[in-house]
Formats: sequence, C-alpha cells, structure tokens
Amino acid sequence: MLELELQSTKVPKMKKFPETRVIASQISRSIHSLPHRLSLSSLSSNIHFSDSKATANCIQFDCELHDPCGLWKWFKKQVRRRKREKIIEFNWMGNKLGRRRQVVDERYTRPQGLYAHKDVDVKKLRKLILESKLAPCYPGDEECSCDLEECPICFLYYPSLNRSRCCMKGICTECFLQMKNPNSTRPTQCPFCKTTNYAVEYRGGKTKEEKGNEQIEEQRVIEAKIRMRQQELQDEEERMQKRQELCSSSTSVAPREVEYNAVAVSSSRSLEGDEIVSDSCATPMIRQPSRLRTNGDDEFDLDLEELMVIEAIWLSIQENGRPRNPAFDGSEQYVMEDRYVTSTLSPVACSSSSPSGGLACAIAALAERQQMSGESSIISHRNVSAFNMLPGSSRLYNRVDQDAENHPPAESSSSASPDSRVAATRDEGDWGVDRGGSEVAEAGTSYASSDVTEDGSGNSSLAQPDEIAGSFQNVPGPIVPESFEEQMMLAMAVSLAEARAMSSGSGISWQ
Amino acid sequence: MTSSSAPSRKALSKIACNRLQKELVEWQVNPPAGFKHKVSDNLQRWVIEVNGAPGTLYSNETYQLQVDFPEHYPMEAPQVIFVPPAPLHPHIYSNGHICLDILYDSWSPAMTVSSICISILSMLSSSTVKQRPADNDRYVKNCRNGRSPKETRWWFHDDKV
Repeated sequence: MLELELQSTKVPKMKKFPETRVIASQISRSIHSLPHRLSLSSLSSNIHFSDSKATANCIQFDCELHDPCGLWKWFKKQVRRRKREKIIEFNWMGNKLGRRRQVVDERYTRPQGLYAHKDVDVKKLRKLILESKLAPCYPGDEECSCDLEECPICFLYYPSLNRSRCCMKGICTECFLQMKNPNSTRPTQCPFCKTTNYAVEYRGGKTKEEKGNEQIEEQRVIEAKIRMRQQELQDEEERMQKRQELCSSSTSVAPREVEYNAVAVSSSRSLEGDEIVSDSCATPMIRQPSRLRTNGDDEFDLDLEELMVIEAIWLSIQENGRPRNPAFDGSEQYVMEDRYVTSTLSPVACSSSSPSGGLACAIAALAERQQMSGESSIISHRNVSAFNMLPGSSRLYNRVDQDAENHPPAESSSSASPDSRVAATRDEGDWGVDRGGSEVAEAGTSYASSDVTEDGSGNSSLAQPDEIAGSFQNVPGPIVPESFEEQMMLAMAVSLAEARAMSSGSGISWQ
Repeated sequence: MTSSSAPSRKALSKIACNRLQKELVEWQVNPPAGFKHKVSDNLQRWVIEVNGAPGTLYSNETYQLQVDFPEHYPMEAPQVIFVPPAPLHPHIYSNGHICLDILYDSWSPAMTVSSICISILSMLSSSTVKQRPADNDRYVKNCRNGRSPKETRWWFHDDKV
C-alpha cells in the first residue's frame, strides 16, 4: 500500500528566501508497528519541487516495501524526468536516520531583531528552527503577498507560522519568544484562547488542515449558493415535468425509473452525513439520457445537473484558488473530501490544472473512453480499493470540525512521536521542547515526517492518498495524459465515477 | 490631571509603531460600532469617543477614552482610561480608571484597540445600575499623585458586569 499526499504552496518571494528555491527534502525511515501493516519499512519524505513558476510541491510519501500499483516507481520516474528536463532541482538531504532537518538559511535561525529579546538561548533557538520545531525567523513583511500569513501579534507577514497547540492560531517565532511573561509565576497562557501551558508546534507552511478550515468556510458559502441555484433548477424542472406530464403521458415512465435510482443512491450516501449531496440528489428530477451515459451498463450515470454543479464547484475553486498550477493543493482536497465525498468527481476538481475545461471535460473523455472499451465493469470490480476513501474521508470531516487531537482508534497504537512541539512553560525556564505525544503535529502536515513516524494509517493524509494510489492503477494506457496532475485527475475521475456507478447500479452501499 | 501623566513615556518601539499603524488603518476601514477615533498625529495616544449603546443606561451619552500605548505594545497592555467625566458605572472610578481585567492581568497581545473598545462598551451595556464603585473615594484619593491604573493591584471579583 502506498500513500501519497500532495500539497502545493506557492513560494513567496523567491529571491528573499533562496532556500525554498534550493529545495529542501528530508527522508526519515521508521518501522511501522501497526499490526495490519505487513511490511516493515516506510519511507516518509518531504520533497519540495520548485520550478520556474515559483511553485513548490510538497510530496509526502509513506511507502511500504510492497508497492502494488507501482506508484513509488512512477514517482521516481517523475522525479528523474523533471530532473532531466531541469524543471526542478532535486536533492536528497538529511538521510541520516532519525534526523529531520530543514534547510534554513543560517540568517533565519536567529531573531531578526523584531524585539529586543532578553533571554533567548540563541543556540537552542537555532537548533529548534533547524529541526523544524519552530518556524524560521524570516524577516516579517509589511505587506501581504501571495501565500504569506499574518502573525496576529506583530501584524507582519511570514511564509509560515508556528501554531498554538490549543487553538491552532498562528504566531511567528519572534513573537512566540516574547510570550513568556517574565513577571509571572503562572504557566504561560495562550494569547489567543487563554489555555494554560501555551505550546506551539511548527508544521511548515499553512497546513492542509488550516487551509482546509479556511476553505470550508468559503466552501460553505459556495455550497449555499449552489443549493440556492439547485433549488431554482429543481423548481424549474418540476415545472417542466408538470408541463411534460400534461403534454404527453408516455414520457413520464422513464424519468420515474431513474428518479428512483437516484433516491437509492442518495440514501446510501447520506450515511456519510453529507448534506449537499443528499440535498441535491434525493429530490426527484428528470434525468435526461445524457450523451455521457455509457451504453453497456447503465451504471455510468451522470446527469446534466450534476455536471453543472460540478462545474460550479470547479469554477468556484478556480476563482478562489490563487492562480496555481500544480494541483493537489492539500486544502482543497480537504474540502472536497469533507463536503463532496460522494459527489464523486469533485476531488478531481482540485487536482486538475488543465485550464481547458475542468471536470466536465475529463468526465466526458472518460465516458467516451468507457464507451469505446466498454470495460468499466471490469475495472470497477477490480478496483475495490476505491471505496476505501469513504470511511477515511468522513473521518477527516470529523477531524476538521472537532479537535484535531481526536484521533480515530486506528491510530491509537501510534505512540508518542517526539516531534514538533515546543512548550513555553514557566517551569522549564525556557521554551523547552515538549516531548509529549503530539500527534496533532502529524496530522497531514507537510513536515510531518518525524523522526519516528508511527502515525501510520490514521494520518489524515492517508485515506485520500489510499484512494489516489488505489485508483491509479486503473488508468489504462491510451488516454493517460502527460502531466501528473491530469493523470491524477483522470484516475480519480475514473475510480470515483465507477465507485458511484457500482453503488447505484448493483446496490452495494457505501460503507 | 491623572490622565496626562501617562506611564514613563518612552517612544514606541518599531514593532509597536508598525502594529499601531496597521490597527489604525484597520480601524479606519472597519471601526467598531459606537466608537470614533479622534484624529491626531499622535500614534502613541489615541482619544476615542464612545457612544453609549442604544437601549442601555448609557444611550445618548458620549464619553472619551484615552488609550496610551507603552513602548512595548502589544507585549504590554495599553493604559486605557476614561477622560473625566467618566460614566457612572460600578467598575469605573471617577478619575476615569476602569476595573477591567483585560486591561491588566488578562491582557493578551492578540487583543487590539478595537477589541478593547468592544469589551468596554459591553461592560457599559451590561450595567444595570449607574453608580460608582463602592471604594471610589478611597481609590481616587490614592491615585491623586497621578498613578496609572496599571500600577493598581486590581481585584476582579465581579464577572457579571
């Protein structure tokens, strides 16, 4: 099994932060103790690609020795190709066991003089920064640009911030160092939520989760809009239906059939607690026999309305998302996973970088392909793994809303990983590293490859990657496009569409 | 007057200056309802007009807040007082000092002038009776040498108002 997490972040100010351009990458190996894992070795790495478009991808692999779908091989090939084409510079570093170091310019390992720091242990600070336990002391920016985050204390903008463990609020390292109140004997309180024993952790740039949360907010607005639009459409259609019923009685039979089908699908979906889908699909509607429909089995069943919704989502994402190219922005994945788990095609939306036509195109292409080969049913039987996505993603949904520490039981075996948590407690006399179990830090962060990565299957990044990986094998040769993003997009489109088709066609419910 | 003798008036640090400028910009774009910043070129002292919220004991009344920022704002809390005449309130002394925890012990650098203002207005609005604190005279007498409220050992006992 192989898990893949992709996250793209724009690298702000390439000139200002040369080390991001020079690419940081780390590998750490660890033994998986999780019983359900057969193989022993996992490879976790952060690989930053940067190319001429000032974009960095962070790919995190959790790769076992068994790589049934050959994704690891594929990945290495991609890397080789990019290297050859000089699209990226690539560089392995920190391959010493159990060491995780960030490539940080020496300049940024010490305070930039934002405050007159009194008792800062510069050596220790440097160590923590190099070990990615605190954000580098980049000089704060006055103005916001690209993906910079504003520190809520000094109001300056940084490429990445530390997060408070309690409430996940960001803070720059220099402000964090100020938080310890020298006149107080009480443990330091979080400046944001007043939780005692304030501690921060560093997870690199904006993490999936945070971006996800932000995007969920935006997404909710979009959803509401979509729902409104949908309501309008439904009303329209109902009116149409009535008119049609008046006109001819013969047509009324076919729609009913399909309609029943749709209801079946949505009821099984609603188990996932997904609102929009059940909203949108449970209502009766006339399904026009669209051209996208496959001929062989009636499983591949997309109606125009759904396509429209998907398109709307896609467009809104495009609008929201900064002009980015390489796909798989983690955040959007998140959103998609949460909200549109079952609307099947949306995860693809975020992954597509092709400006041409988004999902509808991809789906159309797929449908055509399926028509040609007529092998969809074979694939769908083979590809049971695609269903893995659902439990995982619903779990993700929980995670986002609830406390991040609320891990599913699968993870409980993962023991403390001494990672990325820095506590500022009065008692320690300094901002000592807290070595408590901070699985929070592990949750789907780009820097999550810790010394002892034992977070295994529960890691939030995993469910989705499973799916990606699982579906990947199903992309057959003929229509595989060149670029990685498109590959992914298509692969997911195939598997999701099939998964959906299966559930609606053969009555297998999502579990 | 007590108000003018602010704490040792050291110039704002760079970071304080920067932050206040941004707060001011934000204020201008999005001022808290019921407040008006009196334009001045002194970044270190803001004078803010407060209008009592409609439907409360203080509706149609206007007061002035004076906010003095220390050198190490926001790591240190600003000094916030009402310019006398201060509103009659169980937590507001006649010399303008305000007994409100976020201005002292519970200050957090994540707070802003705007959030302070909102807290103060909420404190005013939730008052049910217009009266001075019980120890008003004693306290004011103690402060006659122009002591800053930040030097007071406040006792926050009433979380209702």
